Amino acid sequence: MKKRRLIIRSAILVVLAIALGYTAVTYFSEERGLVDAGDQAPDFALEDMNGNTVHLDELKGKGVYLTFWATYCTYCRQKMEYLKEYHEEYQEKGVEIVALNVDESTVQVQRFLDRHNVPYTNAIDRGMKVSNAYGVNSLPAVLLIDEEGDVIDRQIGGKTEQQVLEALDQLVPGSE
Amino acid sequence: MSKVKCECGHLNPYGTYLCESCGKPLKEDDNSLANMRYEGVARRSQTYKKSIVDKIWNFFSSVKVGVWIIVLTLIASSIGTIFPQEMFIPPGQPASVYYYEEYGTMGQLFYQLGFHNLYSSWWYMLLVAGLGVSLIIASIDRFVPLYRALKTQRVTRHPGFMKRQRLFKKADTVTEPSEEIKKASEVLKERKYNVREENGNILAEKGRFSRWGPYVNHVGLIIFLIGAMLRLFPEMYLEDHIWVREGQEVEVRGTGGEYSVRNDDFLVEFYDPEDERFREGLERSGGDVVKTYQTTATLFKQSSETIGAGEKEEVQQHRIRVNDPMSFEGFSLYQVDYKLNELAAFTFALEEIDGDSEGLEDVRFEVNLYDPEPSYEFDNGYRVEIYDYFPNFTFNDDGEPSTLNRIPDNPRFIFEVFAPGEDDGELSFVGIQLNEAIEEDNQYRLRMVDFETNHVSALAVRRDRTLPILILGGIIFMVGLVQGSYWHHRRMWIQERDGELWIAGHANKNWNALKKDFDYLAEQTNIPAPNDQTDEQDESERTDEGVREADDNGSTKQ
Repeated sequence: MKKRRLIIRSAILVVLAIALGYTAVTYFSEERGLVDAGDQAPDFALEDMNGNTVHLDELKGKGVYLTFWATYCTYCRQKMEYLKEYHEEYQEKGVEIVALNVDESTVQVQRFLDRHNVPYTNAIDRGMKVSNAYGVNSLPAVLLIDEEGDVIDRQIGGKTEQQVLEALDQLVPGSE
Repeated sequence: MSKVKCECGHLNPYGTYLCESCGKPLKEDDNSLANMRYEGVARRSQTYKKSIVDKIWNFFSSVKVGVWIIVLTLIASSIGTIFPQEMFIPPGQPASVYYYEEYGTMGQLFYQLGFHNLYSSWWYMLLVAGLGVSLIIASIDRFVPLYRALKTQRVTRHPGFMKRQRLFKKADTVTEPSEEIKKASEVLKERKYNVREENGNILAEKGRFSRWGPYVNHVGLIIFLIGAMLRLFPEMYLEDHIWVREGQEVEVRGTGGEYSVRNDDFLVEFYDPEDERFREGLERSGGDVVKTYQTTATLFKQSSETIGAGEKEEVQQHRIRVNDPMSFEGFSLYQVDYKLNELAAFTFALEEIDGDSEGLEDVRFEVNLYDPEPSYEFDNGYRVEIYDYFPNFTFNDDGEPSTLNRIPDNPRFIFEVFAPGEDDGELSFVGIQLNEAIEEDNQYRLRMVDFETNHVSALAVRRDRTLPILILGGIIFMVGLVQGSYWHHRRMWIQERDGELWIAGHANKNWNALKKDFDYLAEQTNIPAPNDQTDEQDESERTDEGVREADDNGSTKQ
């Protein structure tokens, strides 16, 4: 009788603790984005600055370094310099860099890319559709998508050259 | 901690005051009235402490703790209303500065202690969570024993129980007690009492379900709190807002790119300041007061899972006004704000700096500030290119011209003007009330001759799946409240003991109704109405108990 009571009480307390704990973790962990590690990356198809279509689904088999940026974002510019440097090296290893501008005017983006000689794929996310779907609300935001189309990691904010390299290394197909 | 066996044979949990079955007082104390709260059963949590689980259980089961949690929550909630919450302070103001500047030291303290974001702060949520847990455990801890006691109660109660009821009388004047009890049983059944008989004794009971009122009420509250808790999950409750310019189409946030909405037309009306009826009020409010505003919006649905691909299908058009949202698939779009006259387009004209600008009349072009065309060519051979564009001009950390964001609040252009046949252009820097030649020997100048503005409408996106839960919780809460307030639990025990008639009564509230029922019984039968022993305690000095008769009991005040 006493034992049964202990079990009932423990069970009720455990259920309450789990419910409240789960709520608290969900609510207070701002770290987790709408799309984050372990999730399937939402598919998108956008026209890039050269008029070609970037379709995420077609990039399966390659690692995708998906970076969201704006011309007014200082850290994005820093990151852009690193990516320019390693773009070719990692393209050979099977990693595609896809940069999405967060809905700035075409003139701005085009002039900016021309001025900085950005070699990798760039597209404008008109209407912030992709940004919204990925839950991007601060820049720079990077999603590392593996060859299966699953998100490995979500990185927000400025990163050092070393960190960018590590991220690219993670994306090389066959590494894990 | 073994069970306590009553002389009637019933096993009672340790700590029981009155036997669950026959009602015999198990703890010998003075001969005062029995404490009938929870039927004298043991709230076992309070009677022994053992494991850590029991300690936690006991903590939350305590009404004292519950009341403290409520008081703290109330105090915190009211302090949180002294100054505005962070979401209501003017946008663009950092909270760290705003509270001190606006409200001084008290404001600073308010901010430092986290009251500016009270309702989502961890400790406030902890209080509410504690309240919920306390509510659940305290209810279980009281409901279960009470339910058991009322279910196992016997008809024939122990004399010790009878004697200690507030309404009690021993009558030895009744000639045929068993006949009278039978008659009483009929009378009480007529009065909608539920009558049980055992060995010629009766227990008449009415309105027992009102005892569950507080627990039903608590269940409602708990459901309500669960609903409130679910609001923290985006799948259950989503609130966001989107700004849509006239003519622009914007994705409805939270729909994962499935829906987008186009602002076809935005309209705002103000109260007429010339109108006599409104003049006084408008002067008092010191400015324009919006009469109505509305966005005519068209909703589109995207057919493809792939963002940016697939066909778009028009779903509906609606005039969104305050309190008249556009609704679809659980989502609602509410009109919440607007921004009038945001810059939308500039028209420039080319002219010569030193000269009469002959032949340049046709060199006029409009530049869309959201997405300007990069190049403008004219029939007479002139060409203007946008060398760079900054919608909200600033100098960045490196001292280069840049933009703060993508809203054209302070647009500036670097134009390159190519005269017919020239390969080299002239650069000039153009903005509002600004026109600088970047090179010294510029021949041409671009002058802004016109501008266009646009209205921007702000729509709140809301999806609330918790509303049915909250409503259900509220309804159950009210049912419990009514159940516990408008009905009450009455019981009468009538027994024959050694030729005497023992009469006792108990009500959880509204003793007058019970007394009236006893009076009615006294009219219909020879069973006298019992005395109110609390009155006797008060009046024992001036009234001799022996001569008191039943008839002075019915109207006693409580």
